[in-house]
Amino acid sequence: MFLPGDWRENPNSNSNLVSRLWDHLLLPLLPLSLSSRSLQNPKSPNSTLIGASMGTLGKAIYTVGFWIRETGQAIDRLGCRLQGNYYFQEQLSRHRTLMNIFDKVPQVDKDAFVAPSASVIGDVQVGGGSSIWYGCVLRGDVNSIRVGSGTNVQDNSLVHVAKSNISGKVLPTIIGDNVTVGHSAVLHGCTVEDEAFVGMGAILLDGVVVEKHGMVAAGALVRQNTKIPCGEVWGGNPAKFLRKLTEEEIAFISQSATNYSNLAQVHAAENAKTFDEIEFEKVLRKKYARRDEEYDSMLGVVREVPPELILPDNILPDKSPKPSQ
Amino acid sequence: MAAALARFSRRALPSSSRLLPLLRPLSSEAASPAAAAAPSPPPTSADRVKWDYRGQRRVIPLGQWVPKIAVDAYVAPNVVLAGQVTVYDGASVWNGSVLRGDLNKITVGFCSNVQERCVLHAAWSSPTGLPAETSIERYVTIGAYSLLRSCTIEPECIIGQHSILMEGSLVETNSILEAGSVLPPGRRIPTGELWAGNPARFVRKLTHEEILEIPKLAVAINDLMQSHFSEFLPYSTVYLEVEKMKKALSIPL
Repeated sequence: MFLPGDWRENPNSNSNLVSRLWDHLLLPLLPLSLSSRSLQNPKSPNSTLIGASMGTLGKAIYTVGFWIRETGQAIDRLGCRLQGNYYFQEQLSRHRTLMNIFDKVPQVDKDAFVAPSASVIGDVQVGGGSSIWYGCVLRGDVNSIRVGSGTNVQDNSLVHVAKSNISGKVLPTIIGDNVTVGHSAVLHGCTVEDEAFVGMGAILLDGVVVEKHGMVAAGALVRQNTKIPCGEVWGGNPAKFLRKLTEEEIAFISQSATNYSNLAQVHAAENAKTFDEIEFEKVLRKKYARRDEEYDSMLGVVREVPPELILPDNILPDKSPKPSQ
Repeated sequence: MAAALARFSRRALPSSSRLLPLLRPLSSEAASPAAAAAPSPPPTSADRVKWDYRGQRRVIPLGQWVPKIAVDAYVAPNVVLAGQVTVYDGASVWNGSVLRGDLNKITVGFCSNVQERCVLHAAWSSPTGLPAETSIERYVTIGAYSLLRSCTIEPECIIGQHSILMEGSLVETNSILEAGSVLPPGRRIPTGELWAGNPARFVRKLTHEEILEIPKLAVAINDLMQSHFSEFLPYSTVYLEVEKMKKALSIPL
């Protein structure tokens, strides 16, 4: 008797678990006219139909539930009092994913993915199909940051801008289209042109220019005002020219940007889900967890996997579309 | 119960208008590379959430892949586990790490630890023909700010801070990587050796005493993890705050 669409929105599963337990324990005891819907939100408009059938018993149980919850909260407060100064009260998340600095407002395209744990602050523009992954910080407080379309800035990266450097130049950070910026990269006041590749853990200091199809190897530290020419790989600390890129590798860079923008859409859909949808899919997943396709086909049973649990197959290997050029 | 659920799933879907616009771009637009889109005018979509009161979810299931955390494993509250991630018992994942198993599997073995702000990711395929999953076996210590991508770490190893392990690299039993080392794709670290540098080079053989110390370090971090783990109650009480806030803003619960 689950009605997932009507579950209350809660930030965690606590009360939900309780309500589910109630469903299991109490519902068999209740008369059929009392559905869990009328128990949980008796005032919501769509329950008025059933609400008419919610009798005195339902109201009584609702009131008793309220008393028990109050008791629980009182016990919680007592426990906190006993813990004294050491007790920590949890707060709502105050993390701002998009945040403005006075009048500098981040502009994010509606097709871009910005992870909820990323912070995009100040004068930042993010183009369509781009993705800002978990834990990234794009801080455009003293100057501007431009991120082109189809670009991905992977987990825990930092993009910042220079207010003043030794030569007194003021530098924005410009990242072109279809750029791949690897995990934990640090980009500070630099220019990365279209279809460039910045490897994992690379650090790009002020005034660095990575030209089109340029590549910074993983763990490289590129020093001030270095120019990485088209189609070269630089690596090491400080970064030096290593070799030329092959044609395949150049093709791989744009392929990886495409893959990432496909992947980002999956993550964006998952992260945008409301509490109700998350709980609903949890139940669905539990239901389908024990289903094995081979076993079912042996029995001659065809079972549909619910559409919510199917990922688009363009994120699977060898199935993603090739880049347009 | 299950049959009722299936019935409701059909009924609930068309009625929830929020779900459909989410699913539609996935099926239709995902097929065409978004990168090919022409430079669009500077847009701000008004419905993009600037502040999500729930914060970042710690466990992000993708399709049928749900990250699994063992009951006595510690995963810090601001860690992101997405897709096919398994954290085995006694393991600990410390603050700010991201374990993203959206292309391949990631496992963190018994009593291993992944320290602060690490990123573990997996590629589709690895150049060496090893399975392209990131597997960390038992008693492995991975230092802070490390980056691991599709690598295999055998039991009882230490990976220093700020090290980078690229696709298909293999660290064999009882080896140590120094801080800041970079393993290029497909590099294998043989058993019982110490490597360092960018790119990583052989330094020396480990002594017997040092090899014995490796699991002890993992166990020491496991002890530390216990004290952090015991600070967290199984369920947080933030939902009370949400109820309070919704009441204050007179939003129906």
